[in-house]
Amino acid sequence: MRDRGFAPSRILIYVIVTLFAAAYLAPLVVVVLNSLRTNEEIAQGSMIGWPQQLAWSNYAKAWSGFCVAETCAGIRPYMLNSTLITIPATILSTLLGAVAGYAVSLWRFRGDNWIYGIVTLGLFLPQQMRLLPWTIVLRDIGLINTLTGLVLIHTIQGLSFTVLFCRNYYVAIPHELIRAARIDGAGFFRIFWRIILPLSSPILIVTVIWQFTHIWNEFLFGVTFTTGQQQPVTAALIALSAAVADIPQYGVQSAAVIIAALPTLLIYLFGGRYFVRGLTAGAVK
Amino acid sequence: MPITTTRRRLLAGSAAALALPAFARAQGAVKPRLTAISQWSAGSDGAAITALGKKFEEKGGVWQHSPVPGFTTEMMNKLRAQIIAGDPPACSQLKGPEIAAWSKIAPTVDLDAVVAAAGYEKVVAPDLAKLHKPGGKWIALPLQIYSTNMLFLSKRGMDKAKADKIPVTWADFNALAEKMKSAGMAYPLANGGTRPDDGQKFEASFAGISPTAYRAAIMNLDKKALEGPEIKAAFAQTRKIADWCDPNVGAQPYAVNLKRFVDGDMGMLINGGWAQGVLKNAGFKFEDYVIAPGPSDNGKPVFLLNADAFIFWQRKEADLQAGQMLMAQLVMDPAIQTMYSQITGSIPVRTDVDLSGEGWSDGQRRTAAALKDAVASNQAVLSVAHNMAQENGLTAAMIDVITEYVKNKTIKPEEAVTRLADAVEGAR
Repeated sequence: MRDRGFAPSRILIYVIVTLFAAAYLAPLVVVVLNSLRTNEEIAQGSMIGWPQQLAWSNYAKAWSGFCVAETCAGIRPYMLNSTLITIPATILSTLLGAVAGYAVSLWRFRGDNWIYGIVTLGLFLPQQMRLLPWTIVLRDIGLINTLTGLVLIHTIQGLSFTVLFCRNYYVAIPHELIRAARIDGAGFFRIFWRIILPLSSPILIVTVIWQFTHIWNEFLFGVTFTTGQQQPVTAALIALSAAVADIPQYGVQSAAVIIAALPTLLIYLFGGRYFVRGLTAGAVK
Repeated sequence: MPITTTRRRLLAGSAAALALPAFARAQGAVKPRLTAISQWSAGSDGAAITALGKKFEEKGGVWQHSPVPGFTTEMMNKLRAQIIAGDPPACSQLKGPEIAAWSKIAPTVDLDAVVAAAGYEKVVAPDLAKLHKPGGKWIALPLQIYSTNMLFLSKRGMDKAKADKIPVTWADFNALAEKMKSAGMAYPLANGGTRPDDGQKFEASFAGISPTAYRAAIMNLDKKALEGPEIKAAFAQTRKIADWCDPNVGAQPYAVNLKRFVDGDMGMLINGGWAQGVLKNAGFKFEDYVIAPGPSDNGKPVFLLNADAFIFWQRKEADLQAGQMLMAQLVMDPAIQTMYSQITGSIPVRTDVDLSGEGWSDGQRRTAAALKDAVASNQAVLSVAHNMAQENGLTAAMIDVITEYVKNKTIKPEEAVTRLADAVEGAR
């Protein structure tokens, strides 16, 4: 058996990979360390340093203590708001994307490529451009300043991405499978439920991770189309950090950022190994 | 005579009895309510607006403040969305020339009567008043004032440099900075590297060299003044300031340098009065530093005005209208302005508030005195770094040039003058 541990090329690879990992992890280390330092300690010293004593109180304050103007409830209510927006919008956009992707890839009809092209065009429109049209739509259907309005926005905008990914995944599925099912008398939805969906878990996990992360981290729509207590967690984080006229509250900010990042982190941990598999699944035919 | 009561009468009577309280509420006794949006959510800004809300509630009002976290752009997006939705807030935070610009988008409330009743116009600096009454009618009310060009001197830094004189002109300032440098201070200036910070370095230089040229070039966009010798000198001074600042600050706020400033590793800071509140919150003492008006070459104080204000949007609801009147009265009230400024470290808009009492700092007293002198000698000008001199688009174009100049030391002052003039031409 060959002892690979001492091969110079392998050592070189490990050194390089370790260096890259260290570079990527450095900001996280600073945030984690700062989340355990008091504000006085950071303000009077430097932003980078070891905690002198562990200030766990930062986490308590971030979770349920700090004030956004009159409301002193920490990040907790905003986490709930973000959850109420993100979960329905992720599920809806993923399911609709899967059905639409299935339709344009396996049920060819006149103009299917056009429809697919127009839907994915949404990926290239800057957010600011879509702000005003959405304002008018939400006004006319009476959903301005509601969480439902935001779910609608994220579901529809998410379609550009979910249709793109599902369509590219389903294109690789042999058409014979569909034909055989049709001969057996299965219709559009039966084929979808019985044949396509069971084959889709890698790509569905990719879209769920992607949608969840994007909707959870979204700020512009979240802050424009909500009011007061309904704001998403990103708004609370900005409220905590955007005080130009004040000394930065790095301790509590860091703790709040870590708490707010946990849901997306967990999604990645559980679904992460499917992520790359799903992304490359359609690539090699 | 027997009392005969038909069922119909009984019903009518009880209905009237039930309706009576509602009727009384609608007549005069309507409970004032205010929907407000602002970007004030954290720190002393959040504390101040919360305190104002408490006062509003004490007067029997219903306070519905919705903070829009972030910067001006986010708040304006929100305001635009509310206006388009036909549901503008009864009042919202807005300042400078944006008041005139936004007043064209949706109808505003005419505040002339309530302003006249309070005798407010007599106690507001004229340039400031003008911003809040585009078209001649008061539609917005200023709440607090900052000067963006106050000079903070570190006590320990002065000791280290063996200096005891507060610099008055830019020549004094430059001499002191050199002195500090030769006393071993690598970076005599503690400023940060954000866009407004870079803008402040420039506007403090320009207005300190010539407030007249600043007014002509930056406020009135006079082509000759934009290419004149004063603006070139201002860029040269800005370069000196930039060379004395720690380049490693990147785009961080000045607050990260406050510890080095108080320790005397950095001797000076040019910033707004708000820095005082920040120093206080960080646990430093008033004795650690001195505040003076920013350098001015003619020896008289130059005041770069930054003022926060509320604009009032027309609403049909009686309770919101009552709330707007109550809010207007509160904002103009000297006691409320005192409360507000003591929390944020600003100075009151009213020039007749007495700052000698407890609760005010020396820095605030000096700022107020500087404003009075500057108004008297016509040297109170509007800050460009803080969106007071021009609308957002123009301000952004100018700050782009300035911040690049501060960071890229290969750009010559004369080049910067041309670039700024071009940027103004392109943006107007």
